[in-house]
Amino acid sequence: MTETSRMTETGVAEDGQQAAPATGAPPPGTAYGAAGWLRWGWRQLTSMRTALILLFLLAVGSVPGSLLPQQGIDPAAVQQYYASHPGLAPWLARLSLFNVFAAPWFAAIYLLLFLSLAGCVVPRAYRLARSARALPPPAPRNVARMPQSVRHETGQDPAAALAAAAAVLGRRRFRLRTGEGWVSAEKGYRRELGNLLFHLALLGLLGAVALGGLFGYKANRLLVSGSSFANTVTALDVFHPGRLVSPADLQPFTITLNRFQASYVRSGQLRGQPSSFNAYLSYSPQPGARTQRYDLRVNHPLNVDGAKVYLIGHGYAPVFRVTDGSGKVVFDQPVPFIAVNTSGLASEGVVKVPDARPDQLGFAGVFLPTAVDAGGTLESVFPAPLNPRVSLISYRGNLGMNSGPSQSVYQLNTAGLTELPVAPRPLAPGQSIRLPGGAGTLTFTGYRQWASLAITYDPGQVPALIAGLAALAGLLLSFFIRRRRMFVRAYPGPGGRTVVDVGGLARSDPAGGFDEEFARLAAELRAGYAGQTSEGKTD
Amino acid sequence: MAINQGLSHLSDHFLMVTLVFYFLAVLAFAADFAFGRRSPAAEPARADVPELVTAGAAGGTPVAGGSAAGGGTAGTVGAATGPARPGLRDASRWVQAGLTLTVLGVLAHIAGVVTRGLAVHRVPWGDMYEFIIAVTCVAVLFFLGLMIRYRPYRLGLFFMAPIVIIIGLAQTVIYTPAGPLVPALNSYWLAIHVTAITLATGTYVVAAVLAVVYLVADRHSRRVAAGLPVRNGEAFRLLPSPERLDQFAYRTVVFAFPLWTFGIMAGAIWADEAWGRYWGWDPTETWAFITWVVYACFLHARVTAGWRGRRAAYIQLAGFGCLLFNLLGVSLFITGLHSYAGLS
Repeated sequence: MTETSRMTETGVAEDGQQAAPATGAPPPGTAYGAAGWLRWGWRQLTSMRTALILLFLLAVGSVPGSLLPQQGIDPAAVQQYYASHPGLAPWLARLSLFNVFAAPWFAAIYLLLFLSLAGCVVPRAYRLARSARALPPPAPRNVARMPQSVRHETGQDPAAALAAAAAVLGRRRFRLRTGEGWVSAEKGYRRELGNLLFHLALLGLLGAVALGGLFGYKANRLLVSGSSFANTVTALDVFHPGRLVSPADLQPFTITLNRFQASYVRSGQLRGQPSSFNAYLSYSPQPGARTQRYDLRVNHPLNVDGAKVYLIGHGYAPVFRVTDGSGKVVFDQPVPFIAVNTSGLASEGVVKVPDARPDQLGFAGVFLPTAVDAGGTLESVFPAPLNPRVSLISYRGNLGMNSGPSQSVYQLNTAGLTELPVAPRPLAPGQSIRLPGGAGTLTFTGYRQWASLAITYDPGQVPALIAGLAALAGLLLSFFIRRRRMFVRAYPGPGGRTVVDVGGLARSDPAGGFDEEFARLAAELRAGYAGQTSEGKTD
Repeated sequence: MAINQGLSHLSDHFLMVTLVFYFLAVLAFAADFAFGRRSPAAEPARADVPELVTAGAAGGTPVAGGSAAGGGTAGTVGAATGPARPGLRDASRWVQAGLTLTVLGVLAHIAGVVTRGLAVHRVPWGDMYEFIIAVTCVAVLFFLGLMIRYRPYRLGLFFMAPIVIIIGLAQTVIYTPAGPLVPALNSYWLAIHVTAITLATGTYVVAAVLAVVYLVADRHSRRVAAGLPVRNGEAFRLLPSPERLDQFAYRTVVFAFPLWTFGIMAGAIWADEAWGRYWGWDPTETWAFITWVVYACFLHARVTAGWRGRRAAYIQLAGFGCLLFNLLGVSLFITGLHSYAGLS
């Protein structure tokens, strides 16, 4: 998609002459057949103007994707948007504005753009291949009419002057062609090569992204210290498979989180800012394989069998033991709470005890790692567990887990529950709440930390990297190489001296500067044929 | 490792000195416009050189007579040493003073960036304040490079004035004390990705200034061509021709665009290391992409008939607007994975 190929747009043909006005619009009064219209449409699509407009549309179309919450990035924020804009949200959803980058209209823009690109690049690649060994055109009759030109005189005869000129240009790695009384030379073929490489690499990048979308998958799993999971669809909290991925394609590894450690800045203005996260894992690549250890950190993913495991989140899981009305321990396990503020890591969560008798029990509460009483309300002032407290609201009744839609483990459906009148008292580790009416007892026995892991597999990764590097290389070639031609004609002039006309033409020079290069080359040429003559500084 | 408070304060002092030097440089460049006379050597040397049959500037447009730089190029081709330009000695005293102050300022600027880096034991562009200080340093260095290579001395005022404003704002509004990085930034990719983005952004700043000056100068030369009344004609004759400005702007973008591309790619590789995907349409990623697309539009528009010149310049400025929005708007107002500005 460059200046030279989009000739109909620039009106300047490859050799710098005026091109025929072959723009896309049909001449008035001409009836077009179906084939004619198709050709017209194709020419419109592959024109530079259309490509520019599509590029603009691509940029404009991406904007809502950054301003509105996106389903693929933050589904909770989308829910929130629905709640706060009930009238507008359904309309936005109809326009796929909560999923811009997977929207049909967004796909239409980039597919048209890439089609336009292909329609332009493929014929050019073909032309470039054919011209790979082509010689530059013969020198025009009147070299002095070139955009850059200069006239020299020399005492050498024309043939010797031309030989000297050819030697100078050859030394400068121009591709040469000689004829009767002239030399023409061309250089900078790699500019076109670079340009093509760049645009083909973009097509390759699209292919790589598609490859990842078809055969890759993404998954999340929250893991409390001391527990483990196997990489199977049922054990994963979130699983986004590519279109052609089946559950059997998952790498069969097992991971145990032995310990999670977070450290924070303890003093100064940045107090509370995290300084390191370490998740100490043991894993085995497949059932029966030797168990290995890995210190998983941010920026240091674990690579198992081509799949990568990342540390993407962390939090606290307070451990509760619940004894029901009949005196039986019906619950004793850590419950992951989700951080609601980052500076103090105050976290919210719920405890569901479906096995409690006579009634099911439910608790909703907050875990505060470093609890401080701030004028009657508790808040957490530091993310590390310096003074951990849990504050809970207790319910009894029906949790509603056996009927209706599936529930989130982080939300309590209070429709069938009654709140119990328990004095709001924050619990320190080891403390209990005795529920009224013989409903049972809850003990906050301690806490553990959890880490959230992302597991991704993307076979398009390496192809995308290669395409990206190729695009960059192509960009550099096409930006910093200028394609230019030099023409030299020598003929006998008055007084037995030889007149040498030198002309120059830049075929693609949007950055300018060929005039300067031409001046340098002309000076070199002049020195070339002045070197062995009676003229010039050697005499 | 602990923050070295002494070095951190030293850095702040260096940057105050920088601001003072730059401010004085702006005054000197402004004084050149107000009181400076063109020295004889800077007069366009349009005398015909016998050898030179035709020497059109790139694009076949004759170089405007008022352009000292362009005129010099065309007239001295015959000297066979390549194009000569007015040397620093031929520039006015005000320009000499302005450039000297800029050089002193940039030395203090570099010292400020380096001491900040030594104070925090890492590359000194980890938060918004550090990033802006580094970007302006790159912009001034690029500007000085442009001055040395092409000598459009009169552009000094237009470069240094915005730089002074940006640094002044950085030191007052968004100053962040030296501190350690959040774990997510603790990677050698910070050095690669953010360095490339810093270099590209600094260069884009220069290109944007050139585009604005181009638009103003182009409007002026159009009015002159149309015979309309103009104001401050003398000031415009001191500037490079619009064609020359357009060329500078294009070359600057051509320098910045591959850096930006590389910066995005390095960011993608880092994102893959840190977050498990190389591209995820995070708001910052999206705006980096939008910026890339708009600058790509500029590069294509500039070689397309009907889009060259003013329209291309507007597209370039739109690209710069996207860049600024990404730096300021997205970092401060939209929550995303890139929310590291260090401001709250």
